[in-house]
Amino acid sequence: MATRNRTFIFWRYRDALKSVRAPTSGRSHAAASSGGGGPVIEMSNATPFKQTRSYAPVSTNDPGTSTVGTQTVGLPPAWVDVSEEISSYIQRARDKMAQLAKAHAKALMPSFGDGKEDQHRIESLTYEVTDLIKRSEKRLRKLSAGGPFEDSTIRKNVQRSLATDLQSLSMELRKKQSNYLKRLQQQKEGSDGVDLEMNLNGTRSLREDDDGFDGMSFNKHQMAKLKKSEALTVEREREIQQVAESVNELAQVMKDLSVLVIDQGTIIDRIDYNVQNVAVTVDKGLKQLQKAERNQKQGGMVMCASVLVIMCLVMLLLLILKEIIF
Amino acid sequence: MVLVSSVREYINRMLQDISGMKVLILDSQTVSVVSVVYSQSELLQKQVFLVELVDAILNSDESMSHLKALYFLRPTSDNIQHLKRQLAKPRFGEYNLFFSNMLNTTQLHILADADEHEVVQQVQEFFADFVAIDPYHFTLNTPSNHMYMLPAVIDPPNLQTYCDRIVDGLAAIFLAFKRRPVIRYSRTSDIAKRIAHEASKLMYQQESGLFDFRRTEISPLLLVIDRRDDPVTPLLNQWTYQAMVHELIGIKDNKVDLGNVGKFSKDQQEVVLSSEQDTFFKANMYENFGDIGMNIKRMVDDFQQVAKSNQNIQTIEDMAKFVDNYPEYRKMQGNVSKHVTLVTEMSKIVEERKLMLVSQTEQELACNGGQGAAFEAVTNLLNNESVSDIDRLRLVMLYALRYEKESPVQLMQLFNKLASRSPKYKPGLVQFLLKQAGVDRRTGDLYGNRDILNIARNMARGLKGVENVYTQHQPLLFQTMESITKGRLRDVDYPFVGNHFQQGRPQEVVIFIVGGTTYEESRSVALQNSLNSGIRFILGGSTLLNSKRFLKDLEDAQRIARSSTGVV
Repeated sequence: MATRNRTFIFWRYRDALKSVRAPTSGRSHAAASSGGGGPVIEMSNATPFKQTRSYAPVSTNDPGTSTVGTQTVGLPPAWVDVSEEISSYIQRARDKMAQLAKAHAKALMPSFGDGKEDQHRIESLTYEVTDLIKRSEKRLRKLSAGGPFEDSTIRKNVQRSLATDLQSLSMELRKKQSNYLKRLQQQKEGSDGVDLEMNLNGTRSLREDDDGFDGMSFNKHQMAKLKKSEALTVEREREIQQVAESVNELAQVMKDLSVLVIDQGTIIDRIDYNVQNVAVTVDKGLKQLQKAERNQKQGGMVMCASVLVIMCLVMLLLLILKEIIF
Repeated sequence: MVLVSSVREYINRMLQDISGMKVLILDSQTVSVVSVVYSQSELLQKQVFLVELVDAILNSDESMSHLKALYFLRPTSDNIQHLKRQLAKPRFGEYNLFFSNMLNTTQLHILADADEHEVVQQVQEFFADFVAIDPYHFTLNTPSNHMYMLPAVIDPPNLQTYCDRIVDGLAAIFLAFKRRPVIRYSRTSDIAKRIAHEASKLMYQQESGLFDFRRTEISPLLLVIDRRDDPVTPLLNQWTYQAMVHELIGIKDNKVDLGNVGKFSKDQQEVVLSSEQDTFFKANMYENFGDIGMNIKRMVDDFQQVAKSNQNIQTIEDMAKFVDNYPEYRKMQGNVSKHVTLVTEMSKIVEERKLMLVSQTEQELACNGGQGAAFEAVTNLLNNESVSDIDRLRLVMLYALRYEKESPVQLMQLFNKLASRSPKYKPGLVQFLLKQAGVDRRTGDLYGNRDILNIARNMARGLKGVENVYTQHQPLLFQTMESITKGRLRDVDYPFVGNHFQQGRPQEVVIFIVGGTTYEESRSVALQNSLNSGIRFILGGSTLLNSKRFLKDLEDAQRIARSSTGVV
């Protein structure tokens, strides 16, 4: 696809016209022309994450020039900091999820040790990620409240985009968790035939064993095994409980987020619809303001005040008349 | 895919090199261009957090210098004036200007002069100057579309603006494809000839450097034809999904506004019908009404299954699965209700206006049938109380177009009856149509009764019978495409511009209909492309017509023609 770049011609014209307008300042722009319009300070945050969300507040040219007057050092408004914070949380959560994935993989591999540290690590990572997501969601909700009116569309859109990121993150997390759980259960089931370890789905096999051992009394070996199986059951239950809890929390987060996130393919996802809506809302706002103004003018207060003033004048008149006549 | 993907590529390139929070500023034409191919959520992903119209920018002094501005505008004088004012008092940190077509040097000078604060970082021309509604169908949404029907002497400046817009749009298409075409046009149409010659001048002389692409052996073909060669297609009632929605309700930029049709909840007031985003629509857009009904029923049944299983949540696993699938479920629900609503509304309209009866006669008038039977059928329908005015008008027009030379007495009778029955009928409209698009003014063989071969073909078709009475009409475009495929497009009817010449068959053909295209024709093009005959057809028009729009253009043109002859 063809494009045409008119930037250089544009800059040439601009410099030519500038020198026509103010011949003295032509010198100071000679250096700037190649780099393109005035020194712009690029204040990119020392961000630890790869997404480059750098702002470029515009500072003016050298104070010596006559054409450019006011200083416009634009710092972004406060809510941009909040949004930066949220996106840094999201990035951290992403990193931790990558680590979590590795830990899952490691835990699923057959190992000789007890696997307790792996479990612990998985738990802590999961907890951290869920916590980051919850915190981001709380900050996100505060993002839209307060602040100047002109910014509100931008804030809403920033909110929407962060909400979409958050939602996809939490869905990824849940998918990973459910995969992990599934594979874990499969593994335990698989090792049942070898190990006689008990798990939730393995109750069938236990019953088979029971039937097999029916007539005989429980000897010590089986007692020990039974105790071990009970302990394992309790632990399994606890793990499942934890995962269920985090699933619930994430479900809550997702429900809240889904209000913010745009459904793709619907009318809300259309740019022209959103542009029109802003115009319509502004129009409506204007109409409301005008109506309020009119109401205020016709309001009772004004009437009262004017009536009172008139009565004062009348009384004054009567007083003067009284003085004149008497 | 080509049209949509070209525009998307342009927009991607605009956004990719600029980092940080961005504002996108469009004008009323480019907002259509962008909205049909790019969604709001995709813009948000690229960190464009605000979209505004250039003429509606709030005149607040609030400086948002932490945002970078991207302007994507058509290079019109109005837009340049707006830009001039906004560059004088810049609100944003930096300004990146993209124009959808070529700037001339005057405009560049004005902009350069206005940029005192030196905030403009780049000025580029990205040639996305057309609205890509379907993969092989584009439109230009030109205002004052009726200009093409008026002779040049009536309003030269407006006609020049109209032609310029079309030539710009065509140039943008070929720049987006990086090809330079061979141009042919419809002989009997002055405006087609004018547009063809102006386009050729632009591509081969004025901006020959810009259009100097790598030559392949066979250049693509640009065929400029006139709507008036086929006035029948926009007048007919349609029965395939996309065309039917546009005919009965109206589609603009792939959006359907249901506000006029009935009372709906706020989120169902306007819906999107885009083949890119809606797989059900993509599969059904060219199917006829009966088949659509069945497919929708199947979709509703599937959805009910899913809904029932969602209510059956017992274990934690089920709950997790439900939450996982919730976005999909919601999307499906929205989609199902959208299509059900559309089909319900259309059925209501068909019932009210007795369209099945009317359309049968229309199709017979357009395709076959004898004059006597046609006259009787039209008279009966004119006498029928429940037929609406617009349908009566269409019937008489179709009759007149077909039988204008036979039995003028009966034709007069129909005119009189129409005038007496329809109080709002502007007298002389049918005659105006005949003057514009009568048999003497048309190129090509609209009714298949000029060429021996066509007559034979028609007779064979009549004997064979048709599958569906309501969709038996083939637009004239279909025959044109067939001729091009066989390499038999007659030079007499469609001459080349200047010394262009083409040996052999082109592999890419862009057909532009001055005056507007219809969805029935775009369906024809899509079906032809799916045959994989080695030629890829792309259809474009100055606007998208349905019968209401076509009649409005006729009325506007008649009004202007009348007032000007009154003056002159």
